[in-house]
Amino acid sequence: MIDFVQNTLDGLAIGSAYGLLALGFTLIFGVMRRLNMAFGPSILVGIFAGAWLHSHWSAGMIPVFLATLAGAVIASAYVERLSFAAIRGDAALASMASSFALWMQLEEAVARVFPQRTYAFPTFEGLPMLELGPLFLRPEYLVMFLTAAALVAGLQVILTRTLFGLHLRTLSDNREAARVSGVNVAQVALLTFLLAAAIGGVAGFLIAATDGQISTKLGMWATMKGLIAMVIGGLGSMRGALIGGLALGVVEAQAQWYLGASGREITTFALLFVALILLPVGLAGGAETGARAEAGRRL
Amino acid sequence: MDGYTISVLSNIGLFAFLAISAWILLIAGEISFGQQAYFAIGAYSGGIATAVWQWPFAAGVVIAVALGAAVGALVAWPTMRLSGLHYAIATLAFAELTRASLNVFTYRRDIEGFATGPDGANGFGDIRWVYEAGIEPGAYLAIIAGCLGAVIGLVALMSYGRGMARLRIVGEDPILAAMQGLSVTRTKIAAASLAGGIAALGGALYAHLATYIEPAQFSVMTGVHALAYGLIGGLGTVLGPILGVLIDIGLLESLRVFAGYRMIVFGGLVVLVLIVRPRGLLDEPTMRRVQAWLRR
Repeated sequence: MIDFVQNTLDGLAIGSAYGLLALGFTLIFGVMRRLNMAFGPSILVGIFAGAWLHSHWSAGMIPVFLATLAGAVIASAYVERLSFAAIRGDAALASMASSFALWMQLEEAVARVFPQRTYAFPTFEGLPMLELGPLFLRPEYLVMFLTAAALVAGLQVILTRTLFGLHLRTLSDNREAARVSGVNVAQVALLTFLLAAAIGGVAGFLIAATDGQISTKLGMWATMKGLIAMVIGGLGSMRGALIGGLALGVVEAQAQWYLGASGREITTFALLFVALILLPVGLAGGAETGARAEAGRRL
Repeated sequence: MDGYTISVLSNIGLFAFLAISAWILLIAGEISFGQQAYFAIGAYSGGIATAVWQWPFAAGVVIAVALGAAVGALVAWPTMRLSGLHYAIATLAFAELTRASLNVFTYRRDIEGFATGPDGANGFGDIRWVYEAGIEPGAYLAIIAGCLGAVIGLVALMSYGRGMARLRIVGEDPILAAMQGLSVTRTKIAAASLAGGIAALGGALYAHLATYIEPAQFSVMTGVHALAYGLIGGLGTVLGPILGVLIDIGLLESLRVFAGYRMIVFGGLVVLVLIVRPRGLLDEPTMRRVQAWLRR
């Protein structure tokens, strides 16, 4: 029983990072109605920018964090310009294929510059292990959880209290209505894209700082986890993305503990498959959103 | 032809099966991230048939295609209710489930003093039927080309009859298709089954050329590539996905100038093509123009 609770705790922490990745995906999907396959690889560029700063200038956590964020945002701007802004509005499949091509490009570019298999990433050193009775909580996990919570709260404020947030939600809900009410669609879309990249950058930084080492596989990993968490949560809702991320984290942690690495993979994907068939509206359920209806079409 | 050309051409042929498989589902209006699963099913079942059960090659290929088509239909049956992104993720989940299951799938028998058969993550070696039968690489390339020709012929036959039109109308507008009295679900299940069979055919041929296969080869990356080939080459004709494979493997891998930068060049090229031609190089308007020109 203690094991189960302990795994749940660890899973929730990792799951909060998944939730952030899913949140980034949801924001992009909401305003673009297209899938950005290069989301993870953009984060990868950021993480490696941070690692480079760390190894060459032995920079501390804050500059590394800022470099990660900057790298992810710049790479995402590149993706947005080429794969989304430049492609006609009705060609969602082309954007997907195009962002996949940029995924390949970014990943290979990173691999050319950083040829080793793994690189060191700075970790949160000197933080004490937290004990809650019989339970333990890694301090990195606490940082992860709290940062994710703070970020979600901040995002909520942006979405509900600012003009940009209003525009973003209008655009998410109905593109045509947004256009006729004078929202600068192209600009809001770009800004949303960059906001999503920044959120993804934070998630990537937290994950890299927890592991202490990074490889070029992280790009694909982030895309897959974010995509899966978004879909099991239910498309088009922020709450859904978070719930999906947390659920994925907990399921993975439990399966890893009880069934081992290969058991974890089998269980996670089998559950995902069954969940999609039985509950296509996602864990958050609720009303049909514009984004969800759009996803029902061919993207 | 020298050995290198033969091996590049064989690779192009084998990936073409996977690309056509993903293309058929795209025409039927579904995005599949998981066609590599059927490639894996074909490779493993074909390999088990010839290496472990000692069946002849043709029987191995037939069982692989049958299994691929059956699993394709079986998976499509519950998932066709989903659509768009949900279907895409469901296929991804199925493919990763297949790969993860192959990682623990062990089935070994003693063949002529050697334990032969799939050994989980260690892979499945000694699929040697083609080599023991003394088939030269050039002759094997002819077999691959023949099978690919048969698949292209089948699709051409479907375009000649009503099959392809039916697939396209279901893909473009399911509601209109249903109003015309077409069963959307049945058409999509048939498309998924056909796509599964074609990918499994490619997989069986691949296993016998490579003689060694392992679960890691059938990752998401393989499947997403297959999907991208059709989108780059063009959705207008079955030659589109083959053109996509030709550009990626044929042009860039054989042009050693780009060694190490292949993906950077390929990625940039694809992005530029898609900005100008969102439905690929050989898109529908282009194909209509070609057909009109041929009819003159």
